[in-house]
Amino acid sequence: MAPPVLHLQHVHFRWPGGTRDLLHLPEFVLESGERVFLQGPSGSGKSTLLSLVGGILLAHSGSVEVLGQDLSLLSSSRRDAFRVAHLGFLFQLFNLLPYLSMTENVLLPLRFSRKRAERVGSSGTWIPEAERLLQALGLGEPLRNNRPVTELSVGQQQRVAAARALIGRPELIIADEPTSALDADAREDFLELLFRESGASGSALLFVSHDADLGLHFDRQLSLAELNHAASASGGPC
Amino acid sequence: MLRLIGKSLWNRRGTAMLTVFSIMVSVMLLLGVEQIRKSIRSSFASAVSGTDLIVGARGGSLQLLLYSVFRIGNAPNNLSWESYEAFRKDPRVRWTIPLSLGDSHRGFRVLGTTPEYFQHFRYGRRQRLRLAEGQVFRQAFDTVLGAEVARKLGYRLSEKIVIAHGTGSTSFLQHEDRPFTVVGILAPTGTPVDQTVHVSLEGIEAMHLDWESGVPPMEGEALSQDEVLRHNLEPEAITAFLVGLRSRIQAFQLQRDVNTYSEEPLSAILPGATLQELWELLRVAETGLRVISGFVVLAGLLGMLTALLAGLNERRREMAILRSVGAGPGTVSVLLIGEAGLLTLIGVASGTALLYAVLYAVRPLLSEQLGLFLPLEAPGALEGVLLSSVFCCGVLIGGLPAWRAYRQSLADGMIIRL
Repeated sequence: MAPPVLHLQHVHFRWPGGTRDLLHLPEFVLESGERVFLQGPSGSGKSTLLSLVGGILLAHSGSVEVLGQDLSLLSSSRRDAFRVAHLGFLFQLFNLLPYLSMTENVLLPLRFSRKRAERVGSSGTWIPEAERLLQALGLGEPLRNNRPVTELSVGQQQRVAAARALIGRPELIIADEPTSALDADAREDFLELLFRESGASGSALLFVSHDADLGLHFDRQLSLAELNHAASASGGPC
Repeated sequence: MLRLIGKSLWNRRGTAMLTVFSIMVSVMLLLGVEQIRKSIRSSFASAVSGTDLIVGARGGSLQLLLYSVFRIGNAPNNLSWESYEAFRKDPRVRWTIPLSLGDSHRGFRVLGTTPEYFQHFRYGRRQRLRLAEGQVFRQAFDTVLGAEVARKLGYRLSEKIVIAHGTGSTSFLQHEDRPFTVVGILAPTGTPVDQTVHVSLEGIEAMHLDWESGVPPMEGEALSQDEVLRHNLEPEAITAFLVGLRSRIQAFQLQRDVNTYSEEPLSAILPGATLQELWELLRVAETGLRVISGFVVLAGLLGMLTALLAGLNERRREMAILRSVGAGPGTVSVLLIGEAGLLTLIGVASGTALLYAVLYAVRPLLSEQLGLFLPLEAPGALEGVLLSSVFCCGVLIGGLPAWRAYRQSLADGMIIRL
């Protein structure tokens, strides 16, 4: 059986020099293709958790495995390569490089990862694939008019960022509050598109937000406060 | 990667252009000092060649070189025609060229000499003087103009010119009664010869005949041109003379003989050795200029450092995005070093190009106003070293923000701090 996309076991994390664990996660599993909603207020350690999964930070103890690979066993440059090969990231705001076109922004991961690039195909197919994703995410009009990314609405920018996270079909897409800057209608639309395209590419989705209402759309809803024993034991930091 | 650097820079082109501009100006200054230094040297060094000794009245050797060859300053004293004749007939001497200075024509120095001048005088790489038009002077009231004199004053052959007493450009005492006829115009040489009006020694004598201690004769008492020519026009004194020897080995010997000449206090100099003295004298100024231009380049590069460091905070987002799509912290710092390198490269290239453009543009002005002939040489080895060390310094300076960005992106990771 294939290993889970994400498997955290007995993870402890504290900042260097810190005396208390910021995170203590006994176990967390995310299976291939699964959509999981992780709810937590800001300051609950969400960003730290995502940095651990991305291999930017290393756990103090315990193991963080992505696709069966223990990240702590990789060198930092290998972790950088591994991250872009298997994970697509989507952030709250300002996801795009303002000096690149929409298509160029979407193609960025392919320039840094051969694995992601190979999954798309030869370099001749890159631009059609990027444009296909942008079309599918409802960006046909700005694409045709070759609009600079700085002229796009926030919702459109987030959809370009989603296309970038999706290109090359990474096994896991990590979304950190991607909808918090959108209004309610745009939020629903965005989620629907994200689900459709991540489903089409077979990517699992880890969606982090403080907004519990969004959780209803997902396969599974979790609360970081419940998962994180460090926080519950000490009454939770702020 | 280069495309990414380019586009990122283009996005911040306002600041980037200012940075490039400051580097450009500083590189221009650095190279300009070097160019002007070189051309001053080569222009001095090419002014006289093939002359073994220069003899003048006793005085400083530098002074003698300056007034005899470069027409700068004045002679402290004249030397007698007898002394000149004595050395001219010396068996070691192959040729001599007498020089008589002290008059001017509309700001250009007048040189009294003999036809030997056109035969033996050499400049640059032992090149001889060439006539562009006409012929050398034959008669007392003939004159041969340097290329620049003819060009600037618009003189043509057979035109009449009047020579002023003294060397000021607006002398009150003009030798109006005895005009000279232009019989020849020399081809350009890029040396002080271009700025000189050449007449025969007889011409100089004739001009001053019946003048009493530098004052012209009363009106009506002046001799007519024909009367003047009937006089014995052998000069009593000249300012200096150039000597060519049969064998260069004898130069020191003859120099000693001149310096110990019992009839009259004289000095002889070896032009090459005296030029060296001149360089020694100028070295301090040159070094000073070089140090200053070096510091200006440093200031330009520090300006770039300031701009890069100041921009770093605003670019945290950019760095974080790049990290999230797989760029390592190393890549991020390479991006910054590349940016510094690119800025410096553009600055260096445009500075060099602009300098040559400016030099090309001011060349005629310099040669007119200062008699400085800029050869506009392609950048040599020294310039290559200077330019590449500026580039290396730029890249090195880029290392500091790159290191900061490295640390920053290690700490920030993909988290975008707003």
